[in-house]
Amino acid sequence: MAAVGSPEPKQSKKGKKVRKRLGFRLDMTPMVDVAFLLLTFFMLTTTFSKPKTMEINLPAEKNDQTQVEVAESNVLTVRVMEGDKTYWNIGFKPPEPIELYDTDDGTKFAISDKFRKMLRGNRERIRQEVGEDVMVLVLKLDKNARYRNLVDIIDELNIANPPIKRFSIADFTDADREEITQMLAGGAQPQPQPQPKEKKDGRRKRNR
Amino acid sequence: MPKIKTKRVGYNLDMTPMVDVAFLLLTFFMLTTQFRPPEPTPIDLPSSNATVPLPDTDILMVQIGKNNELFLGVDSQPARERIFESTIRKQLQAANFPAIEDSLRKFKLSDAFPVNKDNLEKMIIAARFANPKLRPVIKADINSSYEMVDFVMKTFKKTNMPTFNLITGLEGGTAD
Repeated sequence: MAAVGSPEPKQSKKGKKVRKRLGFRLDMTPMVDVAFLLLTFFMLTTTFSKPKTMEINLPAEKNDQTQVEVAESNVLTVRVMEGDKTYWNIGFKPPEPIELYDTDDGTKFAISDKFRKMLRGNRERIRQEVGEDVMVLVLKLDKNARYRNLVDIIDELNIANPPIKRFSIADFTDADREEITQMLAGGAQPQPQPQPKEKKDGRRKRNR
Repeated sequence: MPKIKTKRVGYNLDMTPMVDVAFLLLTFFMLTTQFRPPEPTPIDLPSSNATVPLPDTDILMVQIGKNNELFLGVDSQPARERIFESTIRKQLQAANFPAIEDSLRKFKLSDAFPVNKDNLEKMIIAARFANPKLRPVIKADINSSYEMVDFVMKTFKKTNMPTFNLITGLEGGTAD
């Protein structure tokens, strides 16, 4: 096994034999064993991946000079409520429900194709109407929405081609809730959507 | 013509190069390994395609757990001391707590500590006094409610830090 042995005694130039320690052997097996043990430990425990981050810029407070006026027909509002229920609308039009995720149980992480298409379609339409990529997205999350919804939607905006830079995060107000309740009460929607009322949401969640 | 096989007696293999390489690797892994600091609460990170790595130093991290618990962590000890002086000392004094210096010493070594919602703003301001270069970072669980995240974001905004980072995992990673 691993061992240190002295090299063969060399013949010096003068032909005189240099006496070295002959046959010196040290058994290094235990040391090598420990070394490999440690090596395995460090190899298995080390993680090279650093956490990744996503940068968010909020407008500074008390700075009314930076307010930008945007035509309402260029504003796409996306509202997310409890249980990943998502609604979108342009300007002051009534909100329309849309599925944010592909699966119903909410375990899958992929944003649904419908949402992607909606985003791309509206953007394209506004670009053709105005002649410039001026769509502004306003993201409103209900307090019972999940943090995941925020990250997933912003991620979707970042990976769009080209990335949608003009978006803002706004408060979900009672007026927003009212608007959605009204839309659902109207019942003109072809897709049956769960009611956004607190009690019914709770029941639905438990049923899952 | 096949050779006659003799039984190998006293077969000797020089393993020195292998051991050399093993030690080289061992040294490499020992020097590059960073141990993860103990987490106050397990957090499932949301996945994203973001690629900006988190900087190593000057981080003010607010962690939000599954059940909306808040934790604050700063990586410099002066900032921790400042936080302690600004809020916790008064609370301890009010409660007639005997070993304030001991708890300060312990507090300076803690990577993250639970925070009350009301104290967060005060603590962030104190930390920023101690180190103005601090970068605010939110590390939240995928299932934490938006209400809490919104509260933290508003606090960052109020304390004049409108730019911050959200920590995410890799897309298709372990965030399940």
